[in-house]
Amino acid sequence: MSFEELPHTADVKIRASAPTLDALFGEASRALMEVMYGEDRIGGTTRSVDLEAPDLESLLCDFLSEVLFISETEGLVFLNADVHVDNQTRLHAVLDGELFDSDRHNKGTEVKGISYSGLSIWKDAKGYMLDILFDV
Amino acid sequence: MLDGIIRAGTDEWEIPIGYVPNMRVPGRFFLSDTLAEVLEPGAVQQLANVATLPGIVRCSLGMPDIHWGYGFPIGGVAAFTLDEGIISPGGVGFDINCGVRLFTTPLVQSDIKKPREFIESLYRAVPTGVGAKSSMKVSPAALTAMMEKGAGWAVEAGYGVPRDLTRCEEGGFMKQADIRAVSAKARTRGIPQGGTLGSGNHFLEIQVVSEIFDEAAAKAFGLVKGQVCCMIHCGSRGLGHQVCTDHLKTLEAATKKYHIALPDRQLACAPVQSPEGKAYFGAMAASANYAWANRQLIMHAARKQFERMFGIEYESMPLLYDVTHNVAKIEEHSVDGHRVTVCVHRKGATRSFGPGSHDLPHDLTGIGQPVIIPGSMGTPSYILKGTATAMERTFGSTCHGSGRVMSRSQAKKKMTGKEVADHLLSQGIIVRAPNEAAIADEAPEVYKPSSDVVQVVHDVGLSALVARLSPVGVIKG
Repeated sequence: MSFEELPHTADVKIRASAPTLDALFGEASRALMEVMYGEDRIGGTTRSVDLEAPDLESLLCDFLSEVLFISETEGLVFLNADVHVDNQTRLHAVLDGELFDSDRHNKGTEVKGISYSGLSIWKDAKGYMLDILFDV
Repeated sequence: MLDGIIRAGTDEWEIPIGYVPNMRVPGRFFLSDTLAEVLEPGAVQQLANVATLPGIVRCSLGMPDIHWGYGFPIGGVAAFTLDEGIISPGGVGFDINCGVRLFTTPLVQSDIKKPREFIESLYRAVPTGVGAKSSMKVSPAALTAMMEKGAGWAVEAGYGVPRDLTRCEEGGFMKQADIRAVSAKARTRGIPQGGTLGSGNHFLEIQVVSEIFDEAAAKAFGLVKGQVCCMIHCGSRGLGHQVCTDHLKTLEAATKKYHIALPDRQLACAPVQSPEGKAYFGAMAASANYAWANRQLIMHAARKQFERMFGIEYESMPLLYDVTHNVAKIEEHSVDGHRVTVCVHRKGATRSFGPGSHDLPHDLTGIGQPVIIPGSMGTPSYILKGTATAMERTFGSTCHGSGRVMSRSQAKKKMTGKEVADHLLSQGIIVRAPNEAAIADEAPEVYKPSSDVVQVVHDVGLSALVARLSPVGVIKG
C-alpha cells in the first residue's frame, strides 16, 4: 500500500496502490489528509461515513469529498480510514483521527475539491491502483 | 510549438477543429514564442475539449497564463449561447470568484519604518492557512445576507464605505444569487470562514508603485509612483468549494439527461436555461457574493492595521478595484456584427471591459475597467486597463496571473521555504506564512515571469499596461 504525488503544475495529482479496493480507498483518504495536514497525525477519534453512488469513480470522489467536509467542519485530522466497498456503488467507512492542532497540522495546503479530471481506478496483477487530482 | 497547432499571428495560435474529436469550433490562444516553450500538452487538450461543448460561440480561448487544470484549462475563456449553450462548473472551478482587489494608501515606502512588525500585525489580523477560523461570529442570517448582497452586506455591517462597492466588478454582488440552491453543507462550511484568507496561492501583499506606463489612466485610477498599496487575493472558501462539489453531482446526472457527450467528466454541464443549469448558476452567484464579502472583510481588517500603525484615515485608503478570476456571467457581446447575450465562463481569467462598456464606474467610462494582474510571490504585479480589442476578440477577457510552470512537489525538492524566504529578504521582500512548505510551493521560480505574461496581453491588445507594483511584504496562506 502506498501513494505518491505525480507531477502536475497547478494541482496535486496522486497515484495510490493497494492489494484490495477497500485498502485503495483508505490510501486515497490518507493521501488527502497528508496533503492537507502533513504526516504527523494520530488516531483516537472516529467518525463513520455511509455513501451510495452510481459508479466506482463517483463513489471515490464522494467519499473523499465527505472526508474533506467532516475534516473542515469538525476540525478533525484523520490518520486512517477503514473502508468497505460493496458492489462498487456503496461504502461504509470508519475514519480514525484527532482534533486539528495548529502547531502540528500546519504542514500542508488546503484542498478545495476532488476533481474528476484524469480520475481512474484500475486493477493489475498486484492489486488496485488509482490516479486522482486534488484542487489546491 | 506542439504538433498540430497553427500559428495565427505574432503571439497567437490556433487549435484546428479535429485536434480532438467532436470540436465544434477551433481553439485560439495567445502566447509569445518564449512562453510557448513551456506550454503543456494537457492544457491544449483541455482547451480543445472545451471546444466540443454545445453552444460554444466563435472559439475556445486561452490567455497567455494558460496551464493545465481540470475541466477547462486555467486561463480558459468560453462563451455559450443561452438557447443551445451550456453552463459548467468545470469552467469556473472549485474556488468560485477567486479574485483580487487592490487598495491604495497615502503612504510611501519610507513611511513604513518597521516593516517586519507591520507584516506581523497584518498576519495576526487576517486568519491565514489551513484550518484557520474567523474570529467573527457569522450568524445564519448574516450568511444569507453575505450570499445575497456580497460586498454590500459587509459595507452595511460597517466593514467598509459605500464607495468601495462602485469599485467592484458587478458592484460586488451578482443579483442572480439563489440561496435555495446552496446546500446546508456549503452553509456549514461558510459560517466559520468569513474573513479568512485560505491557503495555496492566496495572499495579502504590501506593494509599492514602481513604474507608471500610462499617466492618464494611472491618475484616473488614483495611482502615483512610490505609493504604498495593498493587494488581496482569495475566494469563496469552503462554501464555494462545496457548491462546486454538490453541483458537479447534479450536473453529471444532467449531462446524461440532456444527452451531452463529454471528453472529461469534470466538464459536467447542463443547458444554461435548464433547471439544473439555473440551480448551479444561482448557487455559483451566491458563492461569488460570499467571496466579495470575504475580500471586503479582509480589506477592512488590513485598513484597520494601516490606521493603527500609521495614523492615516480609513477614507484615505480607497479601493482601486476588485476583479473576479473564476466565474460564469451572463453578458452581452458583439458576435459577427450582432449583439448577443451569452454565458461567459472565465476560469483563471479576468474581465477586461473596454471604454464605454456597461458596469464601469462612471468616472472610468472613458478609460476602461481596471485590470489587476497579481505576480507570483516576489515578482511584480501589474495594473492594466480594459480595451476595445478585448471586447471584440475575447468577450472582454484577459489573463489573471503568471501561470505555474513547476509542480508543487518539484518546487519542494528544488528549494526549502527558508531558502526562498531568505532569497526574497535579500531583495527587501518580507514573507510571512504559517509554514515553510507554503513558501516553497509558491516560490517565484514556479511561475512564468509575470512581466512576460502581461507583455503578451498588452501587445495583443487584450488589456493595456498602466502601472507596475513591486512587492515589499507578503502574507501567504
